[in-house]
Amino acid sequence: MTTPATAARPDPAPARRRKRSRRVTLTILGAAAFALAGCREETVDAAAFPDLAACKSAAAQGGEFSALDCEVAFREAQTLHAEAAPRYDSQQVCEEQHGEGSCGTEAQATGSGGGSIFMPLIAGYLIGNMLGGARAGAAPAQPLYRTQDGRFTNAAGTATYASNSGRGQLSASQFTRPAATAGKPPMTRATPASRGGFGTSAASRPTSGG
Amino acid sequence: MQKIDLPEREDWRARAEELGFSFADMHGEPYWDESSAYAFTLEEIETGIEDPATELHAMAREAVAEIVASEELMARLAIPEAHRDLVADSWRRAEPEIYGRFDLVWDGTGTARMLEYNADTPTSLYESAAFQWGWLEEQIAAGVLPADADQFNGIHEALVERFRALFPPDTDLHFTAMAGNPEDYATVESMAWAAREAGMGAHYSDLESIGLSTGGQFLDAEDRVIGTLFKLYPWEDLLRDGFAAHLATAGCLMLEPAWKAVVSNKGLLPVLWRMFPGHPNLLPAFFEDEIAGGAPEARRAADALGRAHVRKPLFSREGAAIRIVEDGRETEASAEGGYGSHPMIVQAYHPLPEFGGFRPVLGAWIVGEACVGLGVREDRGRITQDLSRFKPHFIR
Repeated sequence: MTTPATAARPDPAPARRRKRSRRVTLTILGAAAFALAGCREETVDAAAFPDLAACKSAAAQGGEFSALDCEVAFREAQTLHAEAAPRYDSQQVCEEQHGEGSCGTEAQATGSGGGSIFMPLIAGYLIGNMLGGARAGAAPAQPLYRTQDGRFTNAAGTATYASNSGRGQLSASQFTRPAATAGKPPMTRATPASRGGFGTSAASRPTSGG
Repeated sequence: MQKIDLPEREDWRARAEELGFSFADMHGEPYWDESSAYAFTLEEIETGIEDPATELHAMAREAVAEIVASEELMARLAIPEAHRDLVADSWRRAEPEIYGRFDLVWDGTGTARMLEYNADTPTSLYESAAFQWGWLEEQIAAGVLPADADQFNGIHEALVERFRALFPPDTDLHFTAMAGNPEDYATVESMAWAAREAGMGAHYSDLESIGLSTGGQFLDAEDRVIGTLFKLYPWEDLLRDGFAAHLATAGCLMLEPAWKAVVSNKGLLPVLWRMFPGHPNLLPAFFEDEIAGGAPEARRAADALGRAHVRKPLFSREGAAIRIVEDGRETEASAEGGYGSHPMIVQAYHPLPEFGGFRPVLGAWIVGEACVGLGVREDRGRITQDLSRFKPHFIR
């Protein structure tokens, strides 16, 4: 993070109540630079596996995750799957999103719930190496689902991956715990439906301030 | 309160440029002008400006409670019917305010009078909180001002404290303004630095680049969900924009909150005069149609307004569409700036004092619920507009 020019001075007038700040940020960087000066988004070493066996096999060859990591992550992803997988009211709608043969009933997937709710089958899982523990609101193991066009996505639908097997650096925001409701927590990615809906009322005016 | 000629810092223009204060000169005229400064005593600052402004903010909060509970007042303040619940709910949920700026008229004698309250999108935050502060420190260091000189300027520290008090550490906050205006942007960046100093994540997107997700949430320019949005863009426009219908359901905390729509609205002035008639820091004010309607209000208004009044639209920026009427005759008017057709209020005319050919307006900054600083702008004309100059001040 860039540190702006700041200035601080000792209090020259301790005798009476001071009416001014001790320290002030004096620099304006401009919109482009300010965005860059933002603390860069955290990244996480991550790996995706189609199933538990693939993870364990990588662990046996000295991967960054142990066989125990694989077990724990697989269990966590299964739990998230039950909690937060997308749910549909028909097999047909589910398959439109996830492809033919990629869906089942909630009862089949979770052992509870009804036969009239449909969920995608788990098609892999993503493990993030969260050194020092996961942040609040993060889940280091995420279930993956097929998309209708043959790629993979997470439970919240906020990211798409080309494959369910591989490793790389991912943004920490991709390990945000998926919400059970439609609303997504701040800073998660989402698909824009439209832009430009703000600012139109003031189009003819040079400034918004006063 | 005096205006005192002072030597300028030799390198202040280079310093301004280096710091990114790119609008220190505007329209070929100086905007920042340190060839003289306003001097106040501590007593003048504390009892003349600080305490009255803090009290005025408390009165404005009382007025909000009245207005949001009254269909009549919501209509008079031109709050679109579809969004009255949004405004009222934001007040009931006690959504927090960050800042505002009262414009006061005062010459150091008698009581300061409130001209209006820029409670939603006040600008000149950078020059008030930062550049003015740097001026004082450097003029003390140069021996131009005595070592014990001070300034009424705790704005930056108060903003840091405000963010710290409102949000848990590491909360991600988004900031936005309309693209292409360095003045507006400087205010937003000053605000964002205060948030970062308070331990928040601060992210900037141009207002026009904000998107709406398929799930109905607002997204920044990088498709990230916005949880809290500081917007330097007035509520009267937000409520009429294309995304207005989503404001209530986007799950986004707006700063300033929606209830500021009834504070940064000249309709606040007649409401305050109804609630606090004769208050020493208020000028008599009425809704124009109330006066035109005849009845007892008209006589009450005629007496209170005296021989001169000012006619202002409910919403206007930088002194647009303001008329001064003296003895029934219009004696001064500013360009309409697109505000001419708005509903109007009238306020008793209280001339700005004159100091060396210029007329100062005192900008009393509110952070949270307290007055924490001062920024003085002055203009040659009787209506302070966008060619006004920013003048530094100090406490003797």
